[in-house]
Amino acid sequence: MATHIPGLLEEKLRAGITSSKVLVVGAGGIGCELLKDLVLAGFEDIEVIDLDTIDVSNLNRQFLFQKKHVGKSKAEVAKESALRFNPRASITAHHDSIIKSTYGMSFYQKFDLVMNALDNRSARNHVNRMCLAADIPLVESGTAGYLGQVTVIKKGVTECYECQPKPSQKTYPGCTIRNTPSEPIHCIVWAKHLFNQLFGEADPDEDVSPDAADPEQVGQAGQAALGDDKDHNTHTDGNVTRVSTRAWAKSHQYQAKKLFTKLFTEDIHYLLTMDKLWEKRRKPTPLLWDSLPSDGDDNDNNDGLIEDQRPWSVERCRQVFETAVNNLYNRVKGRVVWDNNDGLIEDQRPWSVERCRQVFETAVNNLYNRVKSEEKEKEDTEDDVSLTWDKDDPDSMDFVTSCANIRAHIFNIPQKTRFDVKSMAGAIIPAIATTNAIIAGVIVLEAMKLLTEDARGYWWAAPSTPPRPKCTVCAPRPELTVKLDTRHTTIRTLDQKILRGSINMAAPDVEIMDGKGTIVISSEEGETECNMGKTLQELGIVDGTRLNCDDFLQSYTLVVNIVHCEKLDEGTEFTILGNSEEIKKAQEEEAEVAAEVEQNRKQKISNDGTKTADGGETSDEMVVAEVEDDDLVCLEDVEDEVEEQEVEEEEEEESRKRRSDDIVGGETQPLKKLKSGGGSSSSSGSGSGDSSDVIEEVMLD
Amino acid sequence: MESSGGTPSCELTDKAKKYDRQLRLWGDHGQVALESGHVCLINASASGTETLKSLVLPGLGSVTIIDDTKVTPQDVGNNFFVESESVGSARGEVTLRLLLELNPEVRGTFVEQPLTEILDNQPDFFTPFSCVVATCLPECTLLTLSKVLWEAKIPLVVVRTYGMIGYLRVQMEEHTVVESHPDNEMPDLRLDRPFPALQKYIDGLDLDSMDHREHSHVPYVVILYKVRQRWIQEHGAAPASYKERKAFAEMVREGMRQKESGSGDTFEENFEEGIKAVNTALLPTTIPSGVQSILNEASSITPSPTTKPFWIMARALHEFITSEGRGALPVRGTIPDMTADSEKYIKVQNLYREQAAQDADWVLRRVQEHSQQLGPRKVISSLESSVKTFCKNAHALRVIKGKSIAEEYKGSINLSEIGSHLENPDSELVWYVMLRAVDQFQSEFRAYPGYFQDQVETDIVRLKVCVNKLLADWGCGPIIKDDFIHEMCRYGAAEVHSVAAYMGGCAAQEVIKVVTGQYVPVNHTHIYSAITATSATFSL
Repeated sequence: MATHIPGLLEEKLRAGITSSKVLVVGAGGIGCELLKDLVLAGFEDIEVIDLDTIDVSNLNRQFLFQKKHVGKSKAEVAKESALRFNPRASITAHHDSIIKSTYGMSFYQKFDLVMNALDNRSARNHVNRMCLAADIPLVESGTAGYLGQVTVIKKGVTECYECQPKPSQKTYPGCTIRNTPSEPIHCIVWAKHLFNQLFGEADPDEDVSPDAADPEQVGQAGQAALGDDKDHNTHTDGNVTRVSTRAWAKSHQYQAKKLFTKLFTEDIHYLLTMDKLWEKRRKPTPLLWDSLPSDGDDNDNNDGLIEDQRPWSVERCRQVFETAVNNLYNRVKGRVVWDNNDGLIEDQRPWSVERCRQVFETAVNNLYNRVKSEEKEKEDTEDDVSLTWDKDDPDSMDFVTSCANIRAHIFNIPQKTRFDVKSMAGAIIPAIATTNAIIAGVIVLEAMKLLTEDARGYWWAAPSTPPRPKCTVCAPRPELTVKLDTRHTTIRTLDQKILRGSINMAAPDVEIMDGKGTIVISSEEGETECNMGKTLQELGIVDGTRLNCDDFLQSYTLVVNIVHCEKLDEGTEFTILGNSEEIKKAQEEEAEVAAEVEQNRKQKISNDGTKTADGGETSDEMVVAEVEDDDLVCLEDVEDEVEEQEVEEEEEEESRKRRSDDIVGGETQPLKKLKSGGGSSSSSGSGSGDSSDVIEEVMLD
Repeated sequence: MESSGGTPSCELTDKAKKYDRQLRLWGDHGQVALESGHVCLINASASGTETLKSLVLPGLGSVTIIDDTKVTPQDVGNNFFVESESVGSARGEVTLRLLLELNPEVRGTFVEQPLTEILDNQPDFFTPFSCVVATCLPECTLLTLSKVLWEAKIPLVVVRTYGMIGYLRVQMEEHTVVESHPDNEMPDLRLDRPFPALQKYIDGLDLDSMDHREHSHVPYVVILYKVRQRWIQEHGAAPASYKERKAFAEMVREGMRQKESGSGDTFEENFEEGIKAVNTALLPTTIPSGVQSILNEASSITPSPTTKPFWIMARALHEFITSEGRGALPVRGTIPDMTADSEKYIKVQNLYREQAAQDADWVLRRVQEHSQQLGPRKVISSLESSVKTFCKNAHALRVIKGKSIAEEYKGSINLSEIGSHLENPDSELVWYVMLRAVDQFQSEFRAYPGYFQDQVETDIVRLKVCVNKLLADWGCGPIIKDDFIHEMCRYGAAEVHSVAAYMGGCAAQEVIKVVTGQYVPVNHTHIYSAITATSATFSL
């Protein structure tokens, strides 16, 4: 049953809606809202695909799901729930990944329209390419907290999703993670790798032991330490590899103390022998299980024991009294107590090293027991049981938080609370019902416009941005440039990290454009396996080489120009240059100018004591304010809720209207019109008002 | 105060897990506020239920629906929270049941009584609500409701969809926001007016005598402070212009040491960070003008037992600034991440933190004194943490002074605002005028224009008269294009679900802002046009 309002939606549109077949990619936050809106708009032939299952943390917004559905397929449950409201509609659910080859060109061609309700960039890139190849219009969307965006993509008419390069996702080179971490995230990545090594599926790229082949250390010793260690095997590639970290841990029954000593005492001592690394860096300090340092922090109410044994001042008693009364009263009222004495929930309080050790011990024991009990269940198989790291699993989180913080302590890196670690390790982006509701509403309205393109001229009032001629995806012959060290970069890195990881190809075939068409990577399994370990140079790929990279599934061909570079920035293996570089530069400059403007404004305020009206914020310059992006996606949490943050503020020049496609969601504020000529009215009030003032002012320059 | 000795597991409650993604926006205290919120919805129309949906999901405490109508087939067509078999049943009851299915923690009731009766006979009916959401009200009822709630100081959010047009109006006499969450906060480092402990610590450090390792692990606050002092010695004043700051950054760079002696290669991450931070870190410590005017207002208030805690705290803050604070706000106490060794970073962090605690404590004592003078009154719950939060956000305090709908309709509307926007024939304000006109049409002809298919032509003429009369009252010419009038009559007051979904999301977000007291709500009218996918906010 759907809207039938004579006159409002003209007959042609209504017929168009009923007869069209649409695909919804993703049944998460936006997907649920979208299905509801589509069904109520009268769409009757809908397919929905999502590989995810329902988690408790979805329930605050994904309203087609209830607690009883936790663990079930999102696509299936969403279909069932939505059908309750329009039994006439036919919804097909796929509990599957859209990137699979099952969903090739012929799959897309079935549809009149594709709507993205995705949460990660690689799937967005993929669907974008598929829709370009099949020439099917795509409505792309995303939300992050209060921000959201909707974009209509039509081949040859509008920009494609990849026309505007997004800031690249950070990856961390192995040696930074294994030898010389300098930021909290390095320790967190290391701890997640460690989790997989110990309990999950070990990935050779995720080694956590010291890397003796560190380029900074080449030729240097440290080797001596190897022989002494009975637990180590020396591999020819110079890496110190445990018999398999897992086998080693198992042989010691995962004793927490053993593991601790290995990871946080012995390995650190070993790292210290690589003295070249520490010439310019502060040396790490190995920790001993039995004698952990007390925290430099004075407020160690972290430690139950110490707190309990310390006499309280009268003031402290008063505080405790206040908290206790509040908590007890809340309990009487039956309300969950969120508030602790310091207003922080347990999760948000920093842990001392000692506390980390305790958490580590418990987490290791719990996880080991889980592995053991699962192994018992399926005795017959030889395979190791592997746990999957999950940010919503308390033991997994405890393990990673404690390990990351212990390591951070060792390397003099600021420690993070469990709450923060969860955000960083899980690449969590805040998500709320309101923004998703707004965005889904816009998607359906845009979908209707696409279906009645030729109807009212009116409908198409909003202009579209034409495709960017230099786009590395939708241009007729796309090209891009990769800067790397051809002597050290392997074909595997080219295949896994560059073509798949960064450029998001699904199954690339690569040949050298040398006139002979030498194939270096084949999407056919096993065909070019022998090349994987070789360096680019060994296969004749040097500075200036052009590679023809072709992805059959995506119908996407890209020429990659190789630029050899021996001195990349510390911590990078390769740099992809497209116009992304230029754009980044421009953004940085803008940020500088923004600060400048802000300062001038502040000074002005302080000088004359009145807020500057700074009238006439008129500029035709487009400001692209890219919010700090999901740069933690390197943690490969693809199924995660990394809903991209994009505030693309396109300003229609003539009317200076802000298209609400680029909504800054629940804030409602950004929907406001830009101030025109000093008028204070249209822009007063609302959350980010200050910032938008700045943005507007930047436009003056 | 749990002794957490041997139980390290931090198992979260189910609730914390469920709400995890939103706690990252408004925090636990925001969630507590939301959970003690009670929202009343008047009319469970499409836009009404869409608003409630986005309030029930994040866990609002309780809802009350006032609706005296029965479910119609039209409801089934645009309202997700009715079922086809429920046609003829009480709309409030059906929608409430389906809405509450979304979240078992939310409580709800419905009232099947005409709003006009409630307004006439139960003057205190609305007292328990933290916010009232109204949809689909004829102008005269809306005005009565507006008056009642304005006097009772209960926030009112009006949400309305009319064909492809959305309207949102927030009516609040005064709304104070402590946690306004500004998007880009400048750090509060006090390099221009260091507090004694900071000054003493930095003066005690000698960069030149440090070895390489230590030198490259000094937090950049220290570096910038020292360079700034040298700059002032040389130039007599702190760098102010863009050019000077560029030169200042160069001066910082000169302090960087070479990687290997003679290689000319310099790289010290802490210095690089410092250079990047020059622009923001050198900003003079000031009181933003918006905050200053709040403080001025606070200083002129005579606290009474009914004065809001916000104003008592603002008054104490004002006193702090004029005495202890020597003209500056309390130290915020948080500093950005910096490359440094843990020892120095924690030391510096603690210096700021301790100063912040000390400042907040001063304000707290003053708040307590004021409260005591007022005699026995409702104690501000968890006073200490409230004052801490207040001081931490002192630079971003916001106060919104609203206007009642009655005043806007019958008293003085902001004519200059209307005039200037109507100069643009495609301004969203045109839709505001159209909505006002259809309401007048309705009160005159007892139906919305275009509601009856066979009367569309007559209605177009009549609506045009209404529009022009309205414009004439405001002293504007008949400047609205006929297209808009035709479009309006085409809608026949119908609600489109997608537009309702959009407006419901916006309205719910405003309600959340009102109830949690975080982020800054719209002031006061917001118009959305789904035709052009544009929207605008007006203060009329």
